[in-house]
Amino acid sequence: MISTKAKKQIDAWVAKYPEGRQSSAVMEALKIVQAENDNSLTSDSIQAVADYLDMPGIAAAEVATFYENYNHKPVGKYTIRFCHNISCMLNGADDLIAHLEKKIGVKTGDVTPDGLVNVKKVECLGACVGAPMFQIGDQYYENLTADKIDEIVDGLK
Amino acid sequence: MADIEIEIDGNVVNAKAGEMLIAVTDREGISVPRFCYHKKLSIAANCRMCLVDVEGAPKPQPACSTPIADGMKIHTQNEKAKASQKAVMEFLLINHPLDCPICDQGGECELQDVAMDYGSDVSRFTEGKRIVADSDIGALIQTDMTRCIHCTRCVRFGAEVAGIMEMGGTGRGEDMKIEPFLEEGIQSELSGNMIDVCPVGALTSKPFRYELRSWQMNAVSNIARHDLVGSSIYTQTYKGKVKRIVAKDNESVNETWISDRDRFSYEGLSHENRLLAPQIKVEGKWQEVEWNVALDFALRGLANNVFNARQADQLGALASNTATLEEFHLLQKILREVGSENIDHRLNIKDLNNAISLESNIKLAGLEGVDHALVIGSNLRLEQPMISHRLRKANLSGASVDVINAMAFDFNYRLNSENIIPPHQTAATLAGVLKSVLQSAQAEIPEYLSDIEVSDVATQLANKLSDSDNSVIVLGEHVINNPQASSIANLINEIAQQTNSTTLNLSASGNSTAANLSCFVPGKGGLDVNAMLAADLKAYILLDVYPQYDFHNSVQAVESLSNDDTFVISLNSFKDDAVAQYSNVLLPIASFYETSGSHVNVEGKVQSFSAAVNAPSDAKPAWKVLKVLADLLELPGFHYADSTQVTTEVMHQSHKQHVHDESIDVKVKRGINIIWQKSPYAVDVLSRHAASLQATKIGQINSASMNKATAKKLEVTQDDKYLGVPVVVSESVANNCVFVNSNHSTGGQS
Repeated sequence: MISTKAKKQIDAWVAKYPEGRQSSAVMEALKIVQAENDNSLTSDSIQAVADYLDMPGIAAAEVATFYENYNHKPVGKYTIRFCHNISCMLNGADDLIAHLEKKIGVKTGDVTPDGLVNVKKVECLGACVGAPMFQIGDQYYENLTADKIDEIVDGLK
Repeated sequence: MADIEIEIDGNVVNAKAGEMLIAVTDREGISVPRFCYHKKLSIAANCRMCLVDVEGAPKPQPACSTPIADGMKIHTQNEKAKASQKAVMEFLLINHPLDCPICDQGGECELQDVAMDYGSDVSRFTEGKRIVADSDIGALIQTDMTRCIHCTRCVRFGAEVAGIMEMGGTGRGEDMKIEPFLEEGIQSELSGNMIDVCPVGALTSKPFRYELRSWQMNAVSNIARHDLVGSSIYTQTYKGKVKRIVAKDNESVNETWISDRDRFSYEGLSHENRLLAPQIKVEGKWQEVEWNVALDFALRGLANNVFNARQADQLGALASNTATLEEFHLLQKILREVGSENIDHRLNIKDLNNAISLESNIKLAGLEGVDHALVIGSNLRLEQPMISHRLRKANLSGASVDVINAMAFDFNYRLNSENIIPPHQTAATLAGVLKSVLQSAQAEIPEYLSDIEVSDVATQLANKLSDSDNSVIVLGEHVINNPQASSIANLINEIAQQTNSTTLNLSASGNSTAANLSCFVPGKGGLDVNAMLAADLKAYILLDVYPQYDFHNSVQAVESLSNDDTFVISLNSFKDDAVAQYSNVLLPIASFYETSGSHVNVEGKVQSFSAAVNAPSDAKPAWKVLKVLADLLELPGFHYADSTQVTTEVMHQSHKQHVHDESIDVKVKRGINIIWQKSPYAVDVLSRHAASLQATKIGQINSASMNKATAKKLEVTQDDKYLGVPVVVSESVANNCVFVNSNHSTGGQS
């Protein structure tokens, strides 16, 4: 379930914590395993992480379901992480999400048939000054409008 | 901790510095509402219901997580406290459904009670309420997670007490759910306690679902008799039936917890297999008759086979370990009065000349305080759940635990070492431990240890025991039929004396301590169970005995009891084909909770209980049946008005010390060794008939485990059965050993 390479990476994180506190590395471990499995986690992979860190499966699942960085469904090549918290919402995020869904032809949470894009609603990304905004990869896109979104999405390959 | 004074609601109260405020208010009887706080669980402070006003603090403080300090002034009832509690209550009720009329918790619900005091009668919340899908978590616990208020008591119970974190809080915010990770069903042997700790109707008893309201039932204090602990319980009854069992606080015995076996076994009471009327066998056919006819028939049988020929030594009495202290006493008294010493309750022991004799000299509560334990031959968690829980507590506060077992079991704490040793090497290993202890104390090495080589394992085990100030050696059930059982017990005794350790003998089950206390063992010139069966006695009185389950050699037992010229009087609570085959009279007796009596637990504590309900139909408490039988036999000294007079008599009789063999044999025996252990939920007749218990994962344990090499030697594979039990090939079993967990007995093959 977890590759040797991933185990090495996890071990490096485990080493940062005192002995016997290996479960502290669960967030990084989940991230590493997710990255290895097409950017999403399954019950099995969460259990595998838990087993590797010698912690109860449910404890790893609590972490994996709490944070939005973990995906529990298959995702596209690009995940558009759309902020829907207060500043973005007041600046029209809901309408823009509806526009984006129409533009790519699938609802939030689903992946386009070509496997390229999916949209995920996320909590505040700390860029209220540029609301409404979303994030693709490491890049923030701010002050979004319908036209701007079209342009960005068209540019994804 | 220093004594300090604080002021609560204007009254000065003494307390210890650092105590949590809620512990002080609870002790003083000051009511502070709470949901997430539980005295036996860690503090979560997530429900916020216990907010109180602390002078000087800008905001109200949660009483459960506010440590007190000298001079603190607290108000639990002022406007600020009340307003905060009301506000929290309103938030908690936002998503809680108004389904009290169809909720099983109704009437015993902490949320309902607190809402009566702190809630508003009108809800201001007009938005849609949250709905949460339920998960199926097994046969014992019903979930209605929409009612959950996220107090996390069940989560903390699993992680902290049961030792297996099975429930958890997934998601967050409005989407947070309390659920198990994988829908495999809850596995813990203590899971039913989650029902007790749940303050709302989210987790309720599945077998009790939609049965009754708590206020319709009578609660009778009682003692659970399935293990060596004798947990305190309430039997809740309605119209003469036991409807539910809940835990009763008894700090020195079971704290506030009980095992699932104690909680759910009552279902067996109403099983269709209950024996309801006296029956006699005439010309091979069973007839239901009145009690006097049956008793008369029994007496005539005894007269014909035993008394007319003045052959009292042809009468034997056998009892299962579920009988009460009084029943053991009366039956042995009858036998001894008529002149027979053929009395035994150790039905599952193959060779009573090789029986274990080891005293228990530690209190249950004392187990928490040990700094080291050596456990030999026990799957402690499933066999003695509450004792395992105590040891786990000791372990969490720093005690180390070493184990010698024939197979790796699931311990819910970290063991210092787990030594998987074949049964026929157990004695030699312990001899090594003893030798190592003696060597390091530079004491004389006795002759029988001279050939023993001290292995590294033995040295480590010995050092641990010698280095600990307060260690305990626990002897479990798996050793009873070990070819060197008696030597193992004697070695443990020696080691304990040399290392100043206490000992805990868990090798017998149920109420066996009571059987020993009332001398329900053969006296001088008497036969033990195996000798009786081999001698084909002419008459028996059997007390709740079920041969396929109780006897070590059930085939031999049934055969011997079925002899044409053997007259068998069976006092049974359940019908059973084998019993019907060999018995001549069947007398229906009361089962658990239907009779008064006493349980004696492993520390020797005698706990008496009264009957919660009457026995169904024509069944009578066995102590009464035995008393009437004695009266009819015109025996002196059976004038008891109630069972407590019997109890008094037992407690005043002198307890004979049993002579026991102190020889020690440490030679390694060859060959394949079988450990035959009843499944955890098949230990007695009541739990075997409890449907919900049988439907759990633990209830379905039925396997003959062995490693590859042993399987090859026995020429069986994973798909086969061995001695009628499905084979599981696993490397967790010691070599040359088959570990059987079965709901029936060996049939004498091991």
